[in-house]
Amino acid sequence: MARHHAVARPSAARSGHWVVRAALLACGIAVCAIWWSNTNAATLRTPGDAATAVGRVAGLVGAYLVLVQLMLLARLPWLERAVGLDRLAGWHRGLGTNVVILLCVHVLLVVIGVGLTDQDTPWSAVWEVLTTYPDIWLAVSGMALFLAVAITSGRALRARLSYEVWYWVHVLAYVGIALTFFHQISAGADFVVDPTARALWITMYCVVAACVLCWRVALPARRWMRHALTVERVVRETPDTVSIWLRGHALRELDAEPGQFFLWRFVTVGHLWTAHPYSLSAPATDRRMRITVKAAGDHSRMLAHLRRGVPVFAEGPFGHFTASARTRRAVLLIAGGSGIGPVRALAERLLAGGGDVELLYRASSWQDVALRTELDRMPGLRVRYLVGRRAELGFDPLDRRGLHKIAPDIAHRDVFVCGPAGMTTAVQGALRELGVPRTQIHTEEFSLR
Amino acid sequence: MNPTLTRLRRTGGLAALLAGVGVVVALKATGAAPATHPVALPNAAPPPSHTAAPASSSAAGAPAGGAAPTTSAAPSQKTVDGDVSQTPYGPVQVELVMTGSRIVDVRALQLPSDASRSRRLAQIAAPTLRSEVLSVQSAQIDTVSGATYTSQGYAESVQYALDHA
Repeated sequence: MARHHAVARPSAARSGHWVVRAALLACGIAVCAIWWSNTNAATLRTPGDAATAVGRVAGLVGAYLVLVQLMLLARLPWLERAVGLDRLAGWHRGLGTNVVILLCVHVLLVVIGVGLTDQDTPWSAVWEVLTTYPDIWLAVSGMALFLAVAITSGRALRARLSYEVWYWVHVLAYVGIALTFFHQISAGADFVVDPTARALWITMYCVVAACVLCWRVALPARRWMRHALTVERVVRETPDTVSIWLRGHALRELDAEPGQFFLWRFVTVGHLWTAHPYSLSAPATDRRMRITVKAAGDHSRMLAHLRRGVPVFAEGPFGHFTASARTRRAVLLIAGGSGIGPVRALAERLLAGGGDVELLYRASSWQDVALRTELDRMPGLRVRYLVGRRAELGFDPLDRRGLHKIAPDIAHRDVFVCGPAGMTTAVQGALRELGVPRTQIHTEEFSLR
Repeated sequence: MNPTLTRLRRTGGLAALLAGVGVVVALKATGAAPATHPVALPNAAPPPSHTAAPASSSAAGAPAGGAAPTTSAAPSQKTVDGDVSQTPYGPVQVELVMTGSRIVDVRALQLPSDASRSRRLAQIAAPTLRSEVLSVQSAQIDTVSGATYTSQGYAESVQYALDHA
């Protein structure tokens, strides 16, 4: 999705994510152990029992993974540091479909199990489950919400729905989790017969709820009171790009590095209920921050109409597309579209660190070039504008040949790439062909969906 | 990343997840083969020891000891009712037939019957629960899948009867 800013992480892999993966796997095994310890192997003899058993384990693991989904995006600072929000969002996305499929398997196998045990027709088995299992209607409603979330996040629909619709359906997942919880406790055999398992299970839900409330509600609220961030002014940079200046107190405490992004939430009609990721487009000072946003969706178009004084909630900073990723003296920055925001901020920081910094700015027309005055005035920065659609130019200035012509020594430079997903992927491929080591390519995609 | 590779990894992840769930259950079920024998063994083992020396069963614990004096001379059969255990599907109550401290039969006095499924499940579950109680000679029985509450109520009623035997 090119709608929201792409921000980057150094390709040099952080290894913390393996620890997190191992911990998640261990907890998953512990969940299976609950079932294991409460099940006598001798009760798994008939096909009906076997189907029910697989259905139950699928339900347990599915419920656990739903909570993992929440934790991945609960903005836990240590999780963000160990894994990176971009990768966490990727895990969340990748896991999402699988979790819902697992829950469908749970439903199907439990019904099949009932049918086999009772020698019922499939429909009367469905009827039996619906009429006899405790809290089953809550669970069915919750499952319907999960399906809605999965369908609106699927590739087929995602591109067609507005961010706001997608976001709101996604929020329903919380309701789904609450609704399905009750049948786990009242119909889940492990929790009915085993008080320890029930206590552990309820504790797990409480811990997740506490994390979400703390890091997604309480902390942002406290920070908002401390920094009192508001919109100072909105500056039009190009026909479809605006810069938003934000004013607040003690912003240094946020430790925002140039190249990083926040999840912004503007407290005004039409903006309050959705948070959007945008990168800083200038190094933050103690009193001011700036973002530069290209109109792509409903939300970013409406940003142009923000009024002075609108309060702003900011979650972050996130991302690892920062000067600390630098490994070489010579640096090539490649920006496209709204990627110029973080790249502009990063350029200033990199120049402060000395060395040779060159910026390639790809735009489809001169009209679309934003922040030109300040780029041209930045002391020591060499800027090269690559303007024009590929069809008009007759070539791609960012392909292997184009990049080689611009920077013959590219294999000895750090290359930071930020732009639309298609451009970033193509440039990465070209850089690899030119022999730039992975550790010197700094790029990543970030979008919440 | 290559889109086909991404898709392949995604499908692989799902397959691994589903396979993992299946393998857990399969491992447990295959464990059943050796496990059923140890379960079956104590089934056969306790009766001789008890029938041979019923008086020694006073060591089995207070409830059994309490029952012993009345039947000390010649261990005759007696029946002990369990209490009525309420489940979301209806009451469960059992009656133990005991010889000394040994449970020789379990009769279900009440089983859930408020819905056709409850009735059918109870009919399926009751024989399993009965044979489990007879085999382990206590209320420490496994739940019958699909009949969790009935199993639990059954065990509670058995425990009550044992406590009051």
